[in-house]
Amino acid sequence: MLQNRLHGWSDALREGLSAGFITGLILLFLILIGVPVRLENLALFSLLLTTAIFGIRIGRRLWRAGLGDVLSNALVAGLLAGVMVLLLMALVNRWQARGIDVKRYFDSVSTQTVTVLSGVPAAELHPNPPIDPLTGRYVEGRPVRTDPFRLTFNEETGLRLKFGMTGDSVFDLNLRIGGLYGFVVLLMLTSALAAVVTWAWLAADVGRYRRQFSGRLTGNPVARWAILLLPVLFFGLFWLTEGQGVVDPVLRLRAGEREAQLLIAFLIILWALVAMRSAEANDWGLGYTARIGIVAASVGALVLIGIGRITGNNSTFIAPVSEPRGSQTLSALALVIAGAALIIQSAVLLRRPGRFESQFAIATSLSVLMILPLYLDQYQTDVMTLVGINIMLGLGLNIVVGYAGLLDLGYVAFFALGAYTYAFLSSNQMVFDSNNQPIGLKFAGNDEAVVRAAGWLTITLFVASAVIAAGLWRWRRVQAGRAKAALVRRPLIGVAPRPSTGVSVLLVVLAVGTSALVAMLLDGSSLYDRLFSGASPFLIGLVAGVIVSGIAGIMLGIPVLRLRGDYLAIVTLGFGEIIRLLFNNLRSFTGGPQGVLQIPRPLPENVSGPASYLALLYLVLLGSALIAFLSARLKQSRTGRAWSAMKSDEKIAQSMGINLVQAKLTAFAIGAMFAGIGGVLFAARQRNIFPGDFRLDVSIEVLSLVIIGGMGSIPGVIMGAIVLIGIPEVLRELATYRILVFGALLVAMVIIRPRGLLPAPTPELSARARQLAQARNPGRAQEEVQE
Amino acid sequence: MNDHKSAVPVLESRRLTKRFGGLIAVGDLDLVVWPNQIASVIGPNGAGKTTFFNCISGFYTPDEGELLFYGVPIHGLRPDQISAMGIARTYQNIHLFAGMTALENVLVGIHSNLRATPVGAMLRMPLTQEEEEAALVKAYELLEFVDLAQEADTLATNLAYGNQRRLEIARALASDPYLLLLDEPTAGMNPHETEAMMQFIRRLRDERDLTILLIEHDMKVVMSISDQVTVLDYGRKISEGTPEQVQNDPLVIEAYLGAPADELVSGFLGGE
Ligand SMILES: Nc1ncnc2c1ncn2[C@@H]1O[C@H](COP(=O)(O)OP(=O)(O)OP(=O)(O)O)[C@@H](O)[C@H]1O
Ligand SMILES: [Mg+2]
Repeated sequence: MLQNRLHGWSDALREGLSAGFITGLILLFLILIGVPVRLENLALFSLLLTTAIFGIRIGRRLWRAGLGDVLSNALVAGLLAGVMVLLLMALVNRWQARGIDVKRYFDSVSTQTVTVLSGVPAAELHPNPPIDPLTGRYVEGRPVRTDPFRLTFNEETGLRLKFGMTGDSVFDLNLRIGGLYGFVVLLMLTSALAAVVTWAWLAADVGRYRRQFSGRLTGNPVARWAILLLPVLFFGLFWLTEGQGVVDPVLRLRAGEREAQLLIAFLIILWALVAMRSAEANDWGLGYTARIGIVAASVGALVLIGIGRITGNNSTFIAPVSEPRGSQTLSALALVIAGAALIIQSAVLLRRPGRFESQFAIATSLSVLMILPLYLDQYQTDVMTLVGINIMLGLGLNIVVGYAGLLDLGYVAFFALGAYTYAFLSSNQMVFDSNNQPIGLKFAGNDEAVVRAAGWLTITLFVASAVIAAGLWRWRRVQAGRAKAALVRRPLIGVAPRPSTGVSVLLVVLAVGTSALVAMLLDGSSLYDRLFSGASPFLIGLVAGVIVSGIAGIMLGIPVLRLRGDYLAIVTLGFGEIIRLLFNNLRSFTGGPQGVLQIPRPLPENVSGPASYLALLYLVLLGSALIAFLSARLKQSRTGRAWSAMKSDEKIAQSMGINLVQAKLTAFAIGAMFAGIGGVLFAARQRNIFPGDFRLDVSIEVLSLVIIGGMGSIPGVIMGAIVLIGIPEVLRELATYRILVFGALLVAMVIIRPRGLLPAPTPELSARARQLAQARNPGRAQEEVQE
Repeated sequence: MNDHKSAVPVLESRRLTKRFGGLIAVGDLDLVVWPNQIASVIGPNGAGKTTFFNCISGFYTPDEGELLFYGVPIHGLRPDQISAMGIARTYQNIHLFAGMTALENVLVGIHSNLRATPVGAMLRMPLTQEEEEAALVKAYELLEFVDLAQEADTLATNLAYGNQRRLEIARALASDPYLLLLDEPTAGMNPHETEAMMQFIRRLRDERDLTILLIEHDMKVVMSISDQVTVLDYGRKISEGTPEQVQNDPLVIEAYLGAPADELVSGFLGGE
């Protein structure tokens, strides 16, 4: 009878019991790794977040069973989680009672945690309390032991929830309940609240309203235009917060103004992504002239605003040697050229019907992003640069992990190689003799001869590869002409996908010959000196960095070709650490832990004013845009499809004719090159780099941002970088707990949005395929109609 | 079959042997497939039929013997090389690229007929662009051919079972193979679907100038569409010939059914 009853109960509460058990284990883990419960901001929130996630789960699973079940299960879950913590505290208490030094065994459990959870003030916590050295007696009587069952109601030991940006906190609440009871009550409340809200959400079918709403939104012209114009509107908001020359800002933000502006800047980027994505094939019944007119007018207006800022505020980003304060003319000219390029590109694309919305969104978003940096101060530029570098890294890793499915945990190695290559080639660090007199450059790289040689090599490489590419292109034209079209059945046996040895040798000879000729000409005409003397070695460093990290990518790729999944992860992780340790330990070559100092910025050293930091940001933005663009093209190509087939099933992909060696090595190499670009720009931003900058954490951070943003999705990666790098940088208090937030976010993402914040949409190619098929065979259209 | 003797066989297996430890999965197998034929391989479960296919498509390296494709040895080549030579296959348990749409799956099948390089794709060279468009059209037409054009943008995982089978065939056809290996294409289909699949296989051979090697358990299918049947048992060939010759071979009946029995013969002939 009683047993049946108990069974009934435990059945009804099964969800809550298991959730509570797991939550409790996670909480114990968090506490044992040293999350101080009374930390004034994030740590406690993350404990509560864990509980809330399980509450949401309960609400979701049991929503059909009714509110009562949901509530009781959630309460039980919170209670059980608390009980687990209670057990830990009881253990701590027992050990203390026996005079065992608890801190020695639970090394990480912070004093704060014990204080809050046991209700004993920190000062009284010592198992061996302070002894008066003269009398040999306890300073203040017998030590108080912790007591997990003690209940206190004072401010000192009460749980405190606090949250805010630098300065005054936005939110500060002292629960005034100390001891475990307060904690348990908090857990139960959180879990119940999460569960009930989820239940109510599902029961009220809020999702339906949302769908209805978004349906109405997409149908409504005003709403659609609002979405398309959001980046511009947000830019307007940003503009209002900024003083224009002598004019005071219209919108005054008090404390945290810079941070708030940065957040708006992030929102502009996010809305640009959303606007480009939600554009539909809609021309609004406008003629070609009207369409191009609207796009050109908006781009032109934005460029004019930008030029106004350049002249009004001297926000320049180009500074030749002769104008160390930045050249307004050149900067404005660059904006005009970029704007004109956008308009011309739109003019070409808008000829096709159905492109207006997307082209409008792209053109306005890009123009806004183009002029936005002009309004940022140095701190904001710095954060943006960091975000941009992480976008590059994320997009590079996205190729390896997101497209090709190769889990690479040593990705930071390529980043480091790019950074160090540039550093070696450019550092101005000197070596001093015993009299403190400089006796020469510490890293020979910046030496005239080496820079010259690197420049030479680069030019030669470029010329040679251009010649080879042109030759191959020609050869394939001829081949294609012979086979008439690429897709006819290939000749039986003896397929010739590559040129014969004779043709290859001819090509190589040609390439070497031309590059030697070009080199000789350059040398003879002293053109080289005119081209490179005086200019910063940034460009050379960039090219060299990309080449070095690309080669390293292939070198890592070769030994791990046969590895998959976990094994691949472990080996690449080792590779990343090896590279860092090499930089750390080969002191005579790399400077060891002292790193490489005095790395120049892309612009001449004497540049001052906004140009000194804006130039880098523009380079980073340009680089990320380029990488995003190339990634997008790669994804829709033969190579991209081979990658995703390989990700899905390696063996079957191979039997479809995909050369796995080639596919993997290209993925590694391209990913590594993108990281190399990021590394060079990183070195230029930091100006001093150390092996410690390239720890495993970086790989994990980048991987997290790819996963959280959405694997294989370019907007996802950009969003991931903003959410994981940009926002914590703004809310700097939390930055210390970044790894913790990563963890919590990852768990939350896996449960709530397993495919990422902005997952890659499934490509819908059929419409275009049908269009192309009809264009090739006009008879088909009629056939289909007749059917 | 005499008229073939002058021509080169599409596929020739000479004393092919594949062992797994002590187990001889395929032993001393001699087999010849002539152009434009539908040849079938049958045999009880575990007879080594799939292993034979895996040897042809390069998943396994044979321990002994030779495989010749139009007279060229292919044993020991990698699967991608073999696929590029013009041999395509489907699988007993469907293996599609789950996260890709139907159209993309077919596009992957075209892979070895395309020449685009990553650099070409990034710079979007005119030739790459042309090729890409041609591939898209071709993939779409193949989907129309197998009657899946409506589902072109559906993820492969979300397709119905029968559609997945047809998509797999479309993907195999995408590389314009000379030889198509079908591993139990009617597995898990009802009689109506099986009938349709049979018609489809015939159509493939006739319209696409293909040679087909087929593994099949459904005797009705085997007997009605095959030009030539080979019977395996414990990895060895026990009989070979036209459908009539094979189904009257007492060895086959015994091996297939475990015991010589009159009433089983009728079942073997394809009665339901
Ligand atoms: N990779 C392998 N390792 C070890 N043994 C294997 C392997 N693959 C197949 N075998 C064995 O080889 C024998 C032949 O298997 P195979 O899959 O070729 O049979 P089959 O004729 O295709 O059977 P079915 O009709 O069930 O598909 C079986 O005994 C199987 O267990
Ligand atoms: Mg089989």
